[in-house]
Amino acid sequence: MKLTGPLERVLRVLVADPAAQHYGYDLMKAARLPSGTLYPMLARLQQEGLVESEWEDQRPDAGGRPPRKYYRLTAEGARVARLELARAPAGRSTSRPVAARPAHGMPGSAR
Amino acid sequence: MSGTRPVQRIAERLIRSACRRLPADERAERVREWTAELDAILDDESIRPSWLRGLRALAFCIGISRATRQLSGPARAGSRRARGSRWRSGAPRTRPNDTAVRVAVGVGVYAVVVAGVVAVLTTHPAPRGWPFLLLVTLGIGFDGYCLADIARSRQVRYLPKWAWALICLAQTPAGGIAYLCAGRVGRARSAPPGPAGQP
Repeated sequence: MKLTGPLERVLRVLVADPAAQHYGYDLMKAARLPSGTLYPMLARLQQEGLVESEWEDQRPDAGGRPPRKYYRLTAEGARVARLELARAPAGRSTSRPVAARPAHGMPGSAR
Repeated sequence: MSGTRPVQRIAERLIRSACRRLPADERAERVREWTAELDAILDDESIRPSWLRGLRALAFCIGISRATRQLSGPARAGSRRARGSRWRSGAPRTRPNDTAVRVAVGVGVYAVVVAGVVAVLTTHPAPRGWPFLLLVTLGIGFDGYCLADIARSRQVRYLPKWAWALICLAQTPAGGIAYLCAGRVGRARSAPPGPAGQP
């Protein structure tokens, strides 16, 4: 899995509470991603079995709003996400694949 | 599920047409999912003032259109390049002949751009990191495009080339939009009408 910046942000949101249900707009706001980036990513994660989705039960008190589709991490997804995020530099969104980072830092950076 | 608000109706239509790209078995579910999201956006109390919610919903639809293009593409990795070439060669560029239509198009485009800039700046209060950078980059890119177009075209309308170039540089993006709508002479067209100022 290539950990790009947007993917990292989505995973951070999902991992923060793996049991929580998120609908798409919720994720867009939390991860600050446009819909054009988020949905293809969710579809890919779902295909890989890392994310699952389910339809909200229609409650009578919902005020007639249409049911939403909720996403959350699968058990496997939570495991993989924690692993990948642990390998990513904390607090910084990287657009490079994590595996391509040199293990011992950049030459000349050790001072 | 059809919305009552005009923006919602427009947005639902956009989503439906974007979903036509998807395989038939996914289509209905995606339409349901995204129209429900639309509802959430338009009821989002945290977006203020309320008319920004409409813009947000339309931006959502543009993203959905991009998403369906990627979801339907056979090779997702190549979709970016495919989109680029389609952008360049396809999409017939409208060249309205009528001056009134051109002015209306120009004013409309300008209004949309200003609304977009205002939306970005108000939804991202200070410190404006990337949104501000994005706007500056877009502005510079747009100016560059206009200047390149002026330099490459054989003739421009109404004003000399240097005047259009100055206007483009002085008033981003209004100058560029004015040039593209008024000063630009379509490639397909033969000799432009008369010298400057004489239609």
